[in-house]
Amino acid sequence: MSDHPGSGPVTHDPMTLPSDDNVNNYTFCVELKGSEWFLQKGKMIAYYGSMEFNGIGHGRLDRLVRTSFHSPLHAGDWVVASGSGKMLLADRAFDVNSYDLDEGNLTIRSGNLLAFQPSLALKQSIVPGFLTLIGTGKFVAASNGPVVFMEPPIRVDPQALVGWADCPSPCHHYDHGYMTGVMGGLRALTGIGGASGEEHQFEFVGAGTVLLQSSETLMAEEATGAVPQQAGVPGGGPGGHGPQSGTPRLPGQLGDLQRRFGL
Amino acid sequence: MAAAFGGYLRCVAMFRLQGSKVLAVDMTGDAVKAKNGSMVAYDGQMAFKKMSGGGEGIRGMVTRRLTGEQMTLMEVKGHGTCWFADRASEINLVNLQGDKLFVESSNLLATDAGLRTGTSFTGLRGASQGNGLFTTTIEGHGQAAIMSDGPAVILRVSSQYPLTVDPGAYIAHQGNLRQSFQSGVTFRTFMGEGGGEAFQIRFEGDGLVYVQPSERNTIAGEV
Repeated sequence: MSDHPGSGPVTHDPMTLPSDDNVNNYTFCVELKGSEWFLQKGKMIAYYGSMEFNGIGHGRLDRLVRTSFHSPLHAGDWVVASGSGKMLLADRAFDVNSYDLDEGNLTIRSGNLLAFQPSLALKQSIVPGFLTLIGTGKFVAASNGPVVFMEPPIRVDPQALVGWADCPSPCHHYDHGYMTGVMGGLRALTGIGGASGEEHQFEFVGAGTVLLQSSETLMAEEATGAVPQQAGVPGGGPGGHGPQSGTPRLPGQLGDLQRRFGL
Repeated sequence: MAAAFGGYLRCVAMFRLQGSKVLAVDMTGDAVKAKNGSMVAYDGQMAFKKMSGGGEGIRGMVTRRLTGEQMTLMEVKGHGTCWFADRASEINLVNLQGDKLFVESSNLLATDAGLRTGTSFTGLRGASQGNGLFTTTIEGHGQAAIMSDGPAVILRVSSQYPLTVDPGAYIAHQGNLRQSFQSGVTFRTFMGEGGGEAFQIRFEGDGLVYVQPSERNTIAGEV
């Protein structure tokens, strides 16, 4: 193997690997010095040094988990790496990047989060399929294509959304002018007359940052765990199931469909 | 054209990358072995010949059939430039100077015809990778091109820095390395509380290990 700089590919050893930074666009190096990191199962590709990987349920980790891990029911997908050395993380050759939070909060699609420092607390978001990180520290996330940061107010395509930081109002937005009335309803349901596929967006207003990936291919969703079966909890059982739960629908009443067609 | 890249009078095929997913080989009457069907374009005069059993003769053919390390190679010979690519995989060039490269046959794209190929037993590592118990070896002086899912990271192993690798991310290694298989399977694994990295390969000695930023689906990923 050639050792001359500039000729041939770059080789890395523990001295030249970066500490808590990207090796290339698809690989991230984490340095552990007797510290711990939470990571999603199976995202470690190689490490130097001595490390131990334990499931969240490991007894010694009880205190750590109590302070920085708050979605008990999907704990099976996470492990804690501890020890010292340098560890490489990667996820199916997707782009990976690290982000720093300083007394902040960030909500991210569950499948995109790879690893985080225990100084952050991980919680399930009220929005199904999303996780929220709170506190100060670093985390690593994957995305399909590089991530871009946008300032609200902004409307984004649902498939391009990776997450948001500090934004108070993630909500749905429909282009009502185009989608209401008899013709609009027909267009929406059948696509006849030209549905652009962009009539529905997520809208963010308020101070904060929105993270978008530069493609509309979603990453597989990781289960975030079930939420308590309680009224008022989205996705959490009776009372939480959208419009059907109100007054019983009378025969002949079309409900949403009727409203959509403007009848 | 080939002379400009090949330099001097040595008649050796010159490998170069065009972007990260296309391999261009400049040839002046010499030959390369490449994965069957991986040619995407050529310029000049080329002859393509299928090499049964990787061109290792009857014995090699039988060994490969028995070990499950089959690879269908072709020999490309001629004057000009030939371009190779396979399913938009990232391509990594390896320069061999008398040392031995161990690579999975599925990750091998092309080698200089002057390099010897063979099979070797990998033991438990192969089993944990889902790639069988055997691997392909390449030996001699010249260049080889290996494929990875995402650009490979090359990690140096030396006596004071042993390396541990996830079997699903391992693609190749070269040099004088000993590998041992580590299993983290404990009773916790059976209770669904495994560490997620139950099988690991530890490399010790002196050499280079190639890992890809992606994991094949292995049994290890599930426990």
